[in-house]
Amino acid sequence: MAGLVPPGPTTVPAGESKKAEEKTDFMNLPCPIPFEELHREALMSLKPEAFEGLRFDFTKGLNQKFSLSHSVYMGPTEIPSQSAETIKIPTAHYEFGANFIDPNLMLIGRVLTDGRLNARVKWDLTDNLTVKANAQLSNEPHMSHGIVNFDYKGKDYRSQFQMGNAALFGASYIQSVTRHLSLGGEVFWAGQHRKSGIGYAARYETDKMVATGQVASTGVVALSYVQKVSEKVSLASDFMYNYITRDVTSSVGYDYILRQCRLRGKIDSNGCAAAYLEERLNMGLNFILSAEIDHRKKDYKFGFGLTVG
Amino acid sequence: MASRVSLKSRGKEGKGSKGSDEKSTAQCLKEWSTWTMKKAKVITHYGFIPLVIIIGMNSDPKPQLYQFLSPV
Repeated sequence: MAGLVPPGPTTVPAGESKKAEEKTDFMNLPCPIPFEELHREALMSLKPEAFEGLRFDFTKGLNQKFSLSHSVYMGPTEIPSQSAETIKIPTAHYEFGANFIDPNLMLIGRVLTDGRLNARVKWDLTDNLTVKANAQLSNEPHMSHGIVNFDYKGKDYRSQFQMGNAALFGASYIQSVTRHLSLGGEVFWAGQHRKSGIGYAARYETDKMVATGQVASTGVVALSYVQKVSEKVSLASDFMYNYITRDVTSSVGYDYILRQCRLRGKIDSNGCAAAYLEERLNMGLNFILSAEIDHRKKDYKFGFGLTVG
Repeated sequence: MASRVSLKSRGKEGKGSKGSDEKSTAQCLKEWSTWTMKKAKVITHYGFIPLVIIIGMNSDPKPQLYQFLSPV
């Protein structure tokens, strides 16, 4: 039966699940969301893809399933530096992409002018088993990464096995415990870096709010809470603490989804305020504005862009 | 003298190569898999986007070549 919970770190004490007010049918629980998407609502609201400079994306559909995309970006790119200053160098690149999206098979490839390839494959072998692969390949030696995931979706659980280059192995499991609560765990082992870790996560979700928590042996404790105030407005907050490096970050943000635009804003405990606006000018034409002000590092990023198709 | 020395050294080499033969199946496997990974990386790097394009151009309704090349 799919309702079996294997012994291990994800088992829940028996008394907790019986306290439901309504009659929950424990044999018919909903399927939980995948483990890596646990913080999905908080990430969508609090971490939009902020960029700096000009961005222009053009997607041309050739038929229902196949489309090509052309993307131009011009702007400063930050390079990692040893000192506390941020060093930016101006870059410009053109990216060509091909997407094939079928109900069972999804292939997305993007190639940049400097030769870097970003490939994603998602293949539904059966109703329950999915194979996903993600690779970033570059011409420079030792700068390429690839990961393959095998996902199995059961009636009220999901499990995943992951293999990556540099001998990375990982597995995760998430189980619906009541109609609103799901618990999960993950383990990973990185061969080349000689690291391994284990983590647990919990997600409580109702129609109006989502609360998630995650603890890992790499020292990360991440909690998030998203409240859906109305159909158009969501508020989110997020707390991340690393008990090994004693690093704390907390952020609060909002997400307005209106008819013609979507506005997201957040403010951080690192002194960073950010906003992201996507405005629908016309059918298929979107205008994007992105701003991020980091008061502590004195780093100001403003970007604008247009997305067609 | 020289021949005896050379016989001795060849004998040692013989034993040495037998020892490394037993290790070399694991090493062979490692070298093979590294070689395969390198070739797979090059093939994916050059061939992934053409593969997506070929699969896309053969899906139905079949798009025409001018649709692929024109910017509109």
